[in-house]
Formats: sequence, C-alpha cells, structure tokens
Amino acid sequence: MTEALVIAMLAVPLAAAPLVALVPTARAADRLSVAAALVTAALALVLAGLAIADAPDPAARGSWFVLDAAAGVFLALVAVVGLASALVSPAYLRHAGRGWIGARRSHVFYYAAFHVFWAVLLALPLVDNLALAWILVEASTATSALLVAYSGKRAALEAGWKYVVLTTLGLAIALFGIVVLFVAVGPGGGGLARLDWSALSDAAPGLPRQTTLIAFILIIVGLATKVGWAPVHNWLPDAHSEAPPPISAMLSAALLPTVLLIAWRTELALGPALSGGAVRQLFLGFGLLSLAIAIPFLWRPQPWKRLLAYSSLEHMGILALGIGFGTPLAIAGVVVHVVGHGIAKSLGFYTAIPLLRQNPGAARLPARGLARTNASTAVAAAVSLVALAGLPPSPLFVSEVMVLLGGMEAGLLLVAAIAAVLLALGFLGLAHALIEALLGGRRRGGTGPSPRSARAVGVLAGVAAVALVAVAVAAYQLPGSSLVEALMRGAA
Amino acid sequence: MSATAVTALVVLGFAIVVVRHRSLAIALVGAQALLLGIEALSIDSGDGTGMAVAGAILLVRAAVLPALLVLARRHSREAALVAPATAMVTRLVIAGIAVAIAVAALPPLGLGDRAAEHGAVALLCLGIATVVTRRPAILQIVGGIVAENGVYLLAVAVPGGLPSVIELGVLFDLALVVTVSVAFTRKIHEEVGSSDVDLLRGLRD
Repeated sequence: MTEALVIAMLAVPLAAAPLVALVPTARAADRLSVAAALVTAALALVLAGLAIADAPDPAARGSWFVLDAAAGVFLALVAVVGLASALVSPAYLRHAGRGWIGARRSHVFYYAAFHVFWAVLLALPLVDNLALAWILVEASTATSALLVAYSGKRAALEAGWKYVVLTTLGLAIALFGIVVLFVAVGPGGGGLARLDWSALSDAAPGLPRQTTLIAFILIIVGLATKVGWAPVHNWLPDAHSEAPPPISAMLSAALLPTVLLIAWRTELALGPALSGGAVRQLFLGFGLLSLAIAIPFLWRPQPWKRLLAYSSLEHMGILALGIGFGTPLAIAGVVVHVVGHGIAKSLGFYTAIPLLRQNPGAARLPARGLARTNASTAVAAAVSLVALAGLPPSPLFVSEVMVLLGGMEAGLLLVAAIAAVLLALGFLGLAHALIEALLGGRRRGGTGPSPRSARAVGVLAGVAAVALVAVAVAAYQLPGSSLVEALMRGAA
Repeated sequence: MSATAVTALVVLGFAIVVVRHRSLAIALVGAQALLLGIEALSIDSGDGTGMAVAGAILLVRAAVLPALLVLARRHSREAALVAPATAMVTRLVIAGIAVAIAVAALPPLGLGDRAAEHGAVALLCLGIATVVTRRPAILQIVGGIVAENGVYLLAVAVPGGLPSVIELGVLFDLALVVTVSVAFTRKIHEEVGSSDVDLLRGLRD
C-alpha cells in the first residue's frame, strides 16, 4: 500500500505537467494545476503522517524509497510549500506578462515545469540511495532553472544562468565523490544497492578512512553549492530574488532543505567511517561562514525578495550548525527550524505577489511604509519577518536556542558563542528591515490600487501565524521524543 | 585505461581552455567524448548490457550534445569574437596550476589505475577553469561537459564499472542540463545581442 501511495503521489504531478498543455484556456490550466496540487499534497501528507507515526519502528522500505522519520518531516514540508505555491500561482500568473516563451503558452510552460519540479522535490526525501538522490538533485536544477528565468527579463536570465552553471559544477564535484565512495565500498556485490543509506551505514565501520573522507568532503562540498552554503552560495540571492514568488518559496523552503537532508543522510551513514571531528568541522565551517556572510546583507536596505534570499543563507547556516553539533537537542532544533523556516519564508515570498503588483518598484528598492498602503500585505510581511528574525513566539526562536544549547552540550562553547553573536546581529538586521518595511517613509512614485492577491496573502498570513505558533508549542515536546531518536538513527 | 588515452583526454581539455572559437571548442569536447566512449566500449567488450550502455553514452556525449551546441552556436552568431576575459597564456597558467596542485594532492582513490585517477581530477579542474575564465555561454557549457567527462573517466575506470542505472541517470541529467543551457544561450543572445554572459552582470549588492 505504501508503495502504491508513493507512486500515486509522484504520478499525479508528473501527469499534470503534460495534461496542462491540453486545456484550452489559462483559467482551465489554473484549475487543473490546483486540483492536481490538492491530490498530490493529500497523498504526500498521508505518507508523511505514516512515517512520523511509525517513527519508533524500523523505517518502511520499498524498491527505491525509505519512509523514515526524516522523510516524513521533509515530505510534509515539501507538500505544504508546494500546495501553497500552486494555490498562489494563478494570482502571480494573472499579471506576470508574457514570460520567456510568449503569452499564449506561458501558463503551460510554467505549470509543466512547476509540477515536474515539485515531483522531483517530493521524491528527494524518500529516495533510499545516494546516487539516485544525486540524479534527482541534478534533475531539479534543469526544471527549476527554467522557472527562475520564467519572466525572460535580463536579470532573471542572469540569475537562471548563474544557477545552472554553478550548481551543475558543484554537483559534478559531488558525483566525483560518489564514484570515489562507490569504489571505497568495494566489490561487496549489490551494484546500485551498495549506495543505499542502510548499506553505507553497514559498510561504514570497515571503509578505508582516507578515501571515505575524500569522498565525503567532495560530496558535501558539491551539495553545498545546491544548499546555498557560503562560500559557494553566489547563485542563491540572485535566483531567489528573480524567480516568480511561488518558485522562490519552493527554492528556499523546499529545495534547499531537501538537498540539505541528502547531505545530512550522507553524514549519518558515513559518520562511523570518519572521525567525528572532520565531519563536524565541515558542517560547522559552512554554518558559521553562511551566518557571517549573510549578516551584512541583512543590515543593508535590500529589495524585499533579496532580503528574504539572504535570510535563507542565514537559516541554512543555522541548519548546518545544528547538524554539525549533532546532539539530540541540536537535531530537535534542526527539525523545528526546517519547518518554521519553511512556513515563514514561503509566506514572505508570497507577500511579494501583492507587494510587487501594487508597487513594481519594490523589485529593485527596499519595501517601505506597507502599514500605510495595504493592511493585508503589511500583516503578511510582519508575520513572516517576525518569525524569520526569531522573535518569540516564533518557532525559530525556540529552534535557535535548541541548536545553541545543543552546541554547548557537545562541548563546542566557542562555536556556540560565535553563532549566538551572529544570530543576535541577524535578528537586529531583520528587525530593522521589518520596522522600515512597515513604517518607513514611502518611496516616490506612489502605489497602485490594492490587488486582490493581497486579501489571499492576508488569509495565508493568518493560517501561517497559527501554524507557526503550533510548531513553537510542539517544539517543546520534541527533545527526547521518539521522533528525534529516529532522526538520530538515520535511514539505517 | 591506457596512459596514452588519458594523456590525450587531458591535452584535449587544455586545448579547450586555450581555443577562442566556439566551433573549435565544440569539436574538441566532442573528440574528448568520442575517445572516452571508445575506451569505455573496449573495456565493456564481452558484456552485452555494458556495451549497450556505453554505446548509448557515446552516442549522446559525442554526437547529440555537440550537435545541440552547434545548433546553439548557429542561433547565436556573433559579429566578432567575444573578447576573452583573460589572456590565453593566463588561462593556460591558471588551468595548469590548478591541475598540477589537484594531481599532486590527490591520494590514491583505490581504482588501481593511477593514470585514470589523475586524468579524472585534471579534467574536473580544466572544466571548472574553462567555466571561470570564459565569457561566451557556449564555452561555459563546454566547460561543464569537460568536468562531467572527468567524472565519466573515473566511472569508466571503476573495476566492474558503475551500475547502468547510475550511468544512464547521469547521462539523462547531463542531456537535460545541456538542453536547458542551450535554451538559455539562445534567449541570452536574443536579449543582449550576444552570448557573452558578462553582459548580463546586473545583479550586484
């Protein structure tokens, strides 16, 4: 039954992609996309529920997938973000202009690429094999690059091009590492199965340390380009700020965390073959560097989406720190952070739809005086930035405290202290940006009438606020739970 | 894999770093893929499935991808050669130093074929160097393919080979990414009248 559910969950968006080309009007394409998204998300959430409910038991496995606790958490996240992006996409497309390939077919192009991209993202948390995971990550590049450059404008083309070139090179390095690892695992038989997460875990204690370490570093450094960890993050601010807002949400709240999951699974599987120090230093290095590089950009006046993009860099840094600390408390923090960031960040990007509709200048200039121009947009922006800044009762406040305490628990006081200072600076930067966005002086040029999408985003803000508080409350129950124990166990 | 073949692959990689004409770079990367494909076929001789997979890879890497690049070049004609971002000698020195350091620092990877290990890491570096030092979009795509050829060289040298699923999956992704990149090249040319990606540098903080 589980296998059938998995196949159905992936088949629906993959079928929707070509079907959308057959419908006669843009409105019909909108409806088909939303219907497919509702079915896909429902199936994904059922699977995620099964995985989380069965967390204390050994993970369920299929021919190519594993349904463990981590798969459950990340699958739920990708499902919710994908569904929300599908729901807001019609509002974006209504005023998006002709796009890359002309007005008549732009809806078809958008929805086809969107559903294929979403299907790839849904498969990623489930895949039970490192090489297959790499193939999916690379496939996500091709589909999402087209979406990043959807508008066909010069800046969008630059962002899409940079994204394709940098992540493809990074993934070539990761693939090099996977081939080295395949050789290191040795001719134990099994072919492809040699790179299953459980097979890697079983083989790890006997693997040659030096070769495994080289493979591990190559794989993580390669994947880092896709996660967007500094210093290999250059594509991230451009792609997130130039993509259509629903796609920016998918990139930031779903793609980055799911690729991070692959890096995490690799760490869990190969950890026994490596000294803990090397593994830890790599993640902590990426984490601290990402925070340090993001902070100055959070302090500068930035256009709304670019601000959110640099915030993604900061939050991926926090997740790297949590994985690097590796204690149960830090891992609980990672889970809360992934979910809280996903909700808050996607809401932030959806807010850009009415914001840019009402004031197109906000694409290149910082948002100002939203509280005076549109209450719904202002509320959505406030909910998003308050949560992202880590202001209580944001779940990100709880998760950041958990990660820092986890670092202290691991005996890494200095790293935890540096991270705490950087997080405080990041908080101040985002808090300042929030005040300016809500109450700052209005930009010249005025604003247009309040768009219909503002009301929809206002409703989403209400739902997101409730969800964020619920995650914050649930976060207190997480440390010591069977879910965290299962996450620490990995997919073995 | 013979040391001569590996040397030839690396020499072709250096030539791609040096050449100015896009058509020549496409021909060189096609030749590199052809050589790699022939080596893979000779290693897999006797294994029907292995030969079929190697044949498919040879066809795509040595014929389909270069053909796509030729089409992209035709649709993005330049009035004059794009001025190189760095002089030819500088490119050669950068690439040479990167390759020398990577090869010298590379410990044995366990393949039992040191030439292939060195060749693979050299091609990976040459691909990255090509992307970093070249401005025309097509040359950056070629750089990416050179880097992938490095990984494929390593895969070909794996005792017993990689599972077909991985080889075909990687091939599918490569074809997909090159197709998307070619679409970008045409659109960039339409937008700025050149495939020089330096003309796109508008996103700055």
